[in-house]
Amino acid sequence: MSSSSKITETIRLKPIDVPLGEIDSTSVDKLIGLDAFSGLDPEFRKSKTFRKILEKDTRLVTYQDGDLILRRGDWGNSAFFVVLGTVHVEIEAEGVFPHALLGRREVKRKNLFQAIAQWWSNCRVPEYRDVATYGPGSGTRQRYSGDNTRIYLQDVPAILDRYRTISLGEGELFGELAALGRTRRTATVFAQGSVQLLEMRWQGLRDLMRRDTGFRKQIDESFRSNALRAFLASCPVFSHLAEDQESLSEVIKGAKLDTYGEYDKVGTFRELAEEGTRTNLANEPIIAAEGDYPNGIVMIRNGLARVSRRHHNGHMTVCYLCPGQVFGYDEIAEGHATNEPVPLKHSLRAIGFISLVTIPTPLVEKHFVENQPSKSAARQNARTSTQGPMLQSHHITEDFLEFLIQERVVNGTQTMLIDLDRCTRCDDCVKACATAHDNDPRFVRQGPIHQQVMVANACMHCQDPVCMIECPTGAISRHEKEGVVQINDRTCIGCSTCSKNCPYEAIRMVEIREQDGSLIRDSTTKLPIIKATKCDLCVDQLGGPACQRACPHDALVRMDMSEIDELADWQNR
Amino acid sequence: MRTFASRRWAGLTVVLLASALLIVGNQLLWLSFQRPVYISGWLLLAMVVFLAAFNLRKKMPFLPIGSASTWLQVHIYVGLLSIVVFGLHLELRVPNGLFEVCLACCFAIVALSGILGLILSRVLAARLAAREGEILWDRIPRMRGLISRDTERLALDCLAETESAAVVDYYMRRLRSYFAGPRYFWPHLMNSSRPLRKLLSEIEAHKRYLNDAEKEFMIRIAERVKVKDDLDYHYSLQAVLKYWLFLHVPLTYALIMFSVVHVMLIHAF
Repeated sequence: MSSSSKITETIRLKPIDVPLGEIDSTSVDKLIGLDAFSGLDPEFRKSKTFRKILEKDTRLVTYQDGDLILRRGDWGNSAFFVVLGTVHVEIEAEGVFPHALLGRREVKRKNLFQAIAQWWSNCRVPEYRDVATYGPGSGTRQRYSGDNTRIYLQDVPAILDRYRTISLGEGELFGELAALGRTRRTATVFAQGSVQLLEMRWQGLRDLMRRDTGFRKQIDESFRSNALRAFLASCPVFSHLAEDQESLSEVIKGAKLDTYGEYDKVGTFRELAEEGTRTNLANEPIIAAEGDYPNGIVMIRNGLARVSRRHHNGHMTVCYLCPGQVFGYDEIAEGHATNEPVPLKHSLRAIGFISLVTIPTPLVEKHFVENQPSKSAARQNARTSTQGPMLQSHHITEDFLEFLIQERVVNGTQTMLIDLDRCTRCDDCVKACATAHDNDPRFVRQGPIHQQVMVANACMHCQDPVCMIECPTGAISRHEKEGVVQINDRTCIGCSTCSKNCPYEAIRMVEIREQDGSLIRDSTTKLPIIKATKCDLCVDQLGGPACQRACPHDALVRMDMSEIDELADWQNR
Repeated sequence: MRTFASRRWAGLTVVLLASALLIVGNQLLWLSFQRPVYISGWLLLAMVVFLAAFNLRKKMPFLPIGSASTWLQVHIYVGLLSIVVFGLHLELRVPNGLFEVCLACCFAIVALSGILGLILSRVLAARLAAREGEILWDRIPRMRGLISRDTERLALDCLAETESAAVVDYYMRRLRSYFAGPRYFWPHLMNSSRPLRKLLSEIEAHKRYLNDAEKEFMIRIAERVKVKDDLDYHYSLQAVLKYWLFLHVPLTYALIMFSVVHVMLIHAF
């Protein structure tokens, strides 16, 4: 055999195969003795499994005075144990840190004159940036630490004086709930003085929870006391219990937290779409199976779920559920009314990674079905949140629904849909986008097509914005009020993490330029400076997204995919 | 959400009612021995200026002055109503004088091109959607160049591999010009696939002079002929969708200028 025809085979690495950091054996010995792990079962603490978790899923990270460790609103996939020093956590009730302090872009809407001025002031050079304005923002700066760039607070004593925080010392854990549930961080944490932390990625946390009952209990308690109450209080299903704290506490006590699906599967949405429905269904873990008796109602906390029912030799997708929506209520209510257990009429499957809360049947019967004064309200709320059985009345065709799930566009809160039957290809949408962004369009009028509907490659401002995971400077963030995922051009270091994480090809990396068209280069490496760009929903413009307002033929719409009624109406106009 | 059909009916009803009111008003003015022609003239000029403002709105997407789709709806129905006002202004007579004839012709062309443009927008957009694939207008020349070079390379490869000039000769004689630029504009516009079928049939007929290896190359070339046909189809339809405005918009500005001169002449003499 000639050397040219020789085939070399290797195993494709998965993220989990790559250790988070390099920790030598001596350091692992020291870590095992940390106060942070004093609550673990002594036998487990001595085991090889625990050692392996530390070797593979953790790394030691040092932060300097003022370094931001976590930012409120960021998405992250790791938690931190304090090894040395003190960190401070902002207290939301006492007023949160302003956006500028966290190195984020402040949304300043243009006034009428500034809006009109775009007509003549937009630059003709693509991706022009005035780097002279890239000076330090208010209160924050960037600094390099090893391979990382970090945002830091300049005046920690002043911050501590001005805002109320709580301090966490050696052995304490933070960031675990957001990491396990892949939800947003709820508070900002920064270092006071020099701090050493043990960062543990979510796989390590998951394994610790599986193998150590004490640790699981600790996380469970932390979840119930911190996250669950806030989550339940925000769900329409529980609105009737908002005043009844005692009942809400009982529900919280009985609730069970679960996660399904592969956390790291986010980057393979396109591959999944190509595999086809049958394969997709086979790959999606079943949360509740059709024909089984319900253990309780399942509430989606984060991620998306597919509701399907058996149809001949396959499964027909009936709908998808988004965060805050409920599965299994009707069967429990029907069973309670007839005194006969009613099996589930549909199956529930995890699309990608999902975290959910199960409220056991007895609690559902007590607080939703039996609770006479609020019965109708509870039912109505539960029904409103359970879109599944009502789907047939929405007139969304089965194949269109399948397409939306397969392409994972149901993740979008501002998905750009184009009706090609009405689109005259005039590109007024692209031109308007360019006009609103200094002549640089932030989307491409291309994307997957089903029948006459195109899902354009524009940022969908996802419910589960995987692009935000691992941004080293927090430059990409979600605006808490507007819900817009946006990039701060000043703090973006062009690392492409967000662009690689985005499964929808909605983030483009661009080389920035001077007014004369020449590339702006790094003063040390002489390489062009790169920035991440994407749709920001024209958050600084008067009147909202220019693309939608510029379409004369009602062909383009920005759609919240959880609003299935609106989607059906739009499709059946 | 309102359906397109209900919106269309509502718009047409409003136009019909407004037209009826205008006609009745015009008759009442006649009966009271007044000249409604001044009123209808000024109304028509105001309407034309308003209709032209839609183009300005399209150039200012950053201003919160209503969505372009709302503007287009109003543009369509005000445009239809302006035809009624135009009829009333002319008093349903053929205008006399060269200038008035030019002015009337200008209005007629603008109005007809508008109606035609609307129909084309609805019909051709749906036809493009029905065709497989979505091609961006700006990328068509580059894609055409790629297909052309790819096909030429195939023909040359065939020559090198089979040492027979049958395919490359046919390519040079029949296909090179086909791949060089957009072809069959009108047949594509009329939704006729006759030229493509004719070309494919010719290719099929030419296969009888080829050996197996050459036939393989010819099959691959025929695939590229189909891809080029799709590209030409998109080019033809998208060109019409883009360029009809080059008649409608400049003539609107000409119409406004003519109208201003017309008003000045009327009031001066």
